[in-house]
Amino acid sequence: MQFLSFLISGLSLGSVYALIALGYTMVYGIAKMLNFAHGDVIMVGAYLIYVVSTMQGLPIWVGFLASVVGCTVLGMVIERLAYKPLRGAQSLAVLITAIGVSYFLQNAALLIFGSSPKSFTSVISKKPLSLFDGALVISWEAILTMIVSIFIMIALTVFINKSKQGKAMRAVSEDRDAAQLMGINVNRTITLTFAIGSALAAVAGILLCSSYPTLTPYTGAMPGIKAFTAAVFGGIGSIPGAMLGGVLIGIIQMLANGYISTQLSDAIVFAVLIIVLLVKPTGLLGKKINEKV
Amino acid sequence: MLKVDNINVYYGNIHAIKDVSFEVHDGEIVALIGANGAGKSTSLKTVSGLLPSRTGSISFLGSPIDRVPAHKRVAMGLSQVPEGRRIFLQMTVLENLQMGAFTSKADTKADLEKVFEQFPRLLERKNQIAGTLSGGEQQMLAMGRALMSRPKLLMLDEPSMGLAPILVEQIFEIIKSLHKAGTTILLVEQNAEMALKIADRAYVLESGRITVSGTGKELAASDRIKKAYLGG
Repeated sequence: MQFLSFLISGLSLGSVYALIALGYTMVYGIAKMLNFAHGDVIMVGAYLIYVVSTMQGLPIWVGFLASVVGCTVLGMVIERLAYKPLRGAQSLAVLITAIGVSYFLQNAALLIFGSSPKSFTSVISKKPLSLFDGALVISWEAILTMIVSIFIMIALTVFINKSKQGKAMRAVSEDRDAAQLMGINVNRTITLTFAIGSALAAVAGILLCSSYPTLTPYTGAMPGIKAFTAAVFGGIGSIPGAMLGGVLIGIIQMLANGYISTQLSDAIVFAVLIIVLLVKPTGLLGKKINEKV
Repeated sequence: MLKVDNINVYYGNIHAIKDVSFEVHDGEIVALIGANGAGKSTSLKTVSGLLPSRTGSISFLGSPIDRVPAHKRVAMGLSQVPEGRRIFLQMTVLENLQMGAFTSKADTKADLEKVFEQFPRLLERKNQIAGTLSGGEQQMLAMGRALMSRPKLLMLDEPSMGLAPILVEQIFEIIKSLHKAGTTILLVEQNAEMALKIADRAYVLESGRITVSGTGKELAASDRIKKAYLGG
């Protein structure tokens, strides 16, 4: 029963990681860059719903909408202002810029909201679900998180595989020049990718802060790094890889947390990543990159 | 139809194309021939908009396209089959063809049928991942994909590269039949013999410059071309 409880909290945390990892992996696949500011978009998303629903007292769905729309726009603005001018620059320059954007977002939040933690009101106010005479307690947040994440992952998979824009995204990720020769607007495709990734980050932020209700300007940093780990673990650039990697990282973290040690759980997560990369450098579902001549 | 006027293209500091001018008229097959590295592919990439020219001008259907980004040139009727085919290896044959019709507002279904008629092998392998196709099939897919945008000018970059002689014959037959069906063709080839056989006119590129031009027959008969490109 204890195992089941760890497993469920792992699945719930893991599906949040998966949502964030999708943003990393899609941006990497299509824009060929690591957007290290992605984690901080989560934090912005959480603050947005906090401001709208907790501070202003508007209904939760208004806050949710504000958060998703706000992050989508933020993602597109970051791409336009910080990354687009560097297209064609060496990847190190882009990476450093991404880290700069990350610090910028954290410090902007620090300036606006201060460093004292805000207590986040969960999007659901229901007593946890108690099963088997209280032997197994599952929070509604965990259930909601899993349902929402599964729904989003299915929707995204259908979008990528079936829709015209989704196929164009795959085409750009595989061969940017050839995609242009098809008449695909590469810049617009990249913007769309940032928009989708940031919207997912907003949802992830809301779900994460509902389960772990302390909100600070650094709230997004650690989940961001974990989700990046998940994306690499699953094979960066691969969408199913990000989903699998996220869920596995969440489960590993929670099992390590429960059975081994709370302090060591992060170290164990990263150790597993290192081992996987040693055995399979492209990650679990990563494809071997074909060298193009 | 296409007029390339005095373009100069650089890769960093390397001056790859020097004062190149050429023209393609409506209904022609025009070939650019020359050795490896002479600037043939660079010329095509400049026409399709993947590379910028520092000077001169390119006009298509009477209007300059120098400021038109590559992806918009496709919708104007300019389609390129890139060197090395560059099909989307992880997508299915059908998805590759759908990508070819990305800008097309026409009836994609009818266009698909036309391509499958032209390349029956692609119909057989419709749902196969493109990376599993043979070299010849990949070339057919690349050509079919380019045709999906209903091009007015089809630019082919080394369609015979890496193919067995019998497949080369087949690809050239297809080019001829596309031409007969009304597509204007700009062909870049190292296989000068085959190219000159089907070309109305041809230009010879040598280290980034056009050195000779004439009709396909004239060039095929020229001693100089024979020596340099036709093996005797």
